Amino acid sequence: MGKILVIAEHRDGKLSDGTKELCKVAKEMAEMSGNTAAAAVFSADDAIAKEVSKYIPEVLSGVDAKLAQYTADGYSQAAKSVIEAGDVAGVVISHGYDGVDFAAQVAMSIGAGIVSGINKVEFSDGKFVFTRNIYNGKLQEQRSVKTDKFVVTVEKGAWDKEAAGSEGTITSVDVAVGDVRTTVKEVIETTKGAVDISQAKLIVAGGRGTKDAEKYQATVVALAQKLKGEYGASRAVVDAGWTDHARQIGQSGKTVAPDLYIGLGLSGAIQHVAGMKGAKCIVAVNKDPEAPIFNIATYGIVGDLFEVVPAMIEALDS
Amino acid sequence: MKIVVCVKQVPDMESKFVVVDNKKIDEAQIAFKMNDFDEFAVEAALQIKEKMGGEVIIVSAGPERVVKDIRQAFAMGADWGIHIKDPEIDAGDSTVIASAIHKAIEKIGDADLVLTGVMSEDNQFTLTGVMLSHLMDIPHGTNIVKLEVADEKSITVNRELEGGLNEVIEMSLPAVLSIQSGLNQPRYPTLPGIMKAKKKRLDVMTAADLGLSEVGAAGSKTEFIKMFVPVSEHKAEIIEGDAKTAAAALVNKLKNEAKVI
Ligand SMILES: Cc1cc2nc3c(=O)[nH]c(=O)nc-3n(C[C@H](O)[C@H](O)[C@H](O)COP(=O)(O)OP(=O)(O)OC[C@H]3O[C@@H](n4cnc5c(N)ncnc54)[C@H](O)[C@@H]3O)c2cc1C
Repeated sequence: MGKILVIAEHRDGKLSDGTKELCKVAKEMAEMSGNTAAAAVFSADDAIAKEVSKYIPEVLSGVDAKLAQYTADGYSQAAKSVIEAGDVAGVVISHGYDGVDFAAQVAMSIGAGIVSGINKVEFSDGKFVFTRNIYNGKLQEQRSVKTDKFVVTVEKGAWDKEAAGSEGTITSVDVAVGDVRTTVKEVIETTKGAVDISQAKLIVAGGRGTKDAEKYQATVVALAQKLKGEYGASRAVVDAGWTDHARQIGQSGKTVAPDLYIGLGLSGAIQHVAGMKGAKCIVAVNKDPEAPIFNIATYGIVGDLFEVVPAMIEALDS
Repeated sequence: MKIVVCVKQVPDMESKFVVVDNKKIDEAQIAFKMNDFDEFAVEAALQIKEKMGGEVIIVSAGPERVVKDIRQAFAMGADWGIHIKDPEIDAGDSTVIASAIHKAIEKIGDADLVLTGVMSEDNQFTLTGVMLSHLMDIPHGTNIVKLEVADEKSITVNRELEGGLNEVIEMSLPAVLSIQSGLNQPRYPTLPGIMKAKKKRLDVMTAADLGLSEVGAAGSKTEFIKMFVPVSEHKAEIIEGDAKTAAAALVNKLKNEAKVI
């Protein structure tokens, strides 16, 4: 028996949705393996710990002035001291920006195996078997750890959020945070004042398959205008400078939920899908029948977008 | 500045993936290329070198075929490299790969900065850079979208966060940074660059050369069980026919079935 320990993720006094998903995962894992579910919260006070205790029965609160803001060194040292002090079977961290920044450091510092980006877990022959995406989601693999303890990072959105209950028990724990080698200067917003496509009812989004800035205009923008909607893009398109960052959809861009989303020449990488899976009707045009986008689309056309898009515009005209 | 860039060769994700015995992919069907994120890392290193002077050294682990992409980095302007070539290292998990790269960086000596891509497109572990910083006992930053080296002692970087936010952080050098796509526009090799690349120094090292005793399964902390094509509960309704027929049928469905236009 040991704890399946969630490390809570929060910023500016707000608990992340990902943490509520972690609570769900930890409870599921605890149940299948005969362990207990708990969470550790690292902060400068215990306000967040109180919040987390609504989602999981036991909360360990590690309070230290050095934990006022997330840093990889702060979090991994705090995690190490909590893990070494108690009967921890494994650690569950979100596969978000902070999670991927410190999870491997925790695993290395306690000598544990780490499996990242898991989206499914089973328990067989006394050990956890984790499933995760590989090759841009075209394939999946199963992996387990060989060490006593494990660390996993959990794909965002792979589990539902745990519902809030009444507040549980909070125990304060000592966290030994020594040297923190990075200094946070400030947090800045990079898309301030730009176009906001997050409320649009119809979005045509283009990916790397649209080939260049001119062709992106001639296909994605043209179809969006024909349909009186907005146009958006995958990260690959924004990186290449074919359109603005404010039009990027996904984990590091905008979250959208239009009635109709049309994806042209984009593969449907998980980080893109994170920002548009709430769309009511999803259309994908891609020449690769195995592109992951077809796994979430309502309608699909397997074909060359440079033939399909003009034909769509023609069909809309008639 | 002495900058080490870790480069991985990966399949082109548009290749046809066929899984053999639930253990590996059939390489006969695969075209290989440099991991996208690593291209941005190579470019970032070259820009620092252009500003501050110094050298850019490529480290890459994998079979003989990876030489193509090491030379690609040379053609972009990197100075020399180490090819970690040992099937027992390739058979290990990220702990083994990170340990091997760590040893290679020790052989290079006095690195001021180590750059990796945020993740490799094939395994998508997102682990190697952070593991490397732990082994080297130096600070790190992940998902870096901007970097400014003022001098040889410290660096200021923007770490990407959700929803268009960036965290600006400062750390002392040496450090390990994992580079996110989009922080620059990777250059194309020039013809003279490609010619010069052929003659640049490339050291080949095995686990024994690196002094690494625990490789393969013995050095790994995780165990690979199997790989497979995911079974999706949902599949799109594929609209068949030539472009014209399919486009007309799609427009019709959007109007009359989904009623969204
Ligand atoms: C931390 C992190 C955050 C990220 N955040 C985001 C994010 O917010 N948003 C985002 O989009 N990505 C994000 N990414 C990147 C993501 O992993 C993918 O690299 C990216 O989404 C790929 O863009 P794409 O689909 O346009 O390109 P690709 O994956 O290269 O896909 C191009 C597709 O076009 C198809 N195609 C090519 N030519 C044609 C043609 N003529 N006709 C039809 N189809 C064609 C191909 O078959 C292929 O499927 C993030 C990655 C990381 C690591």
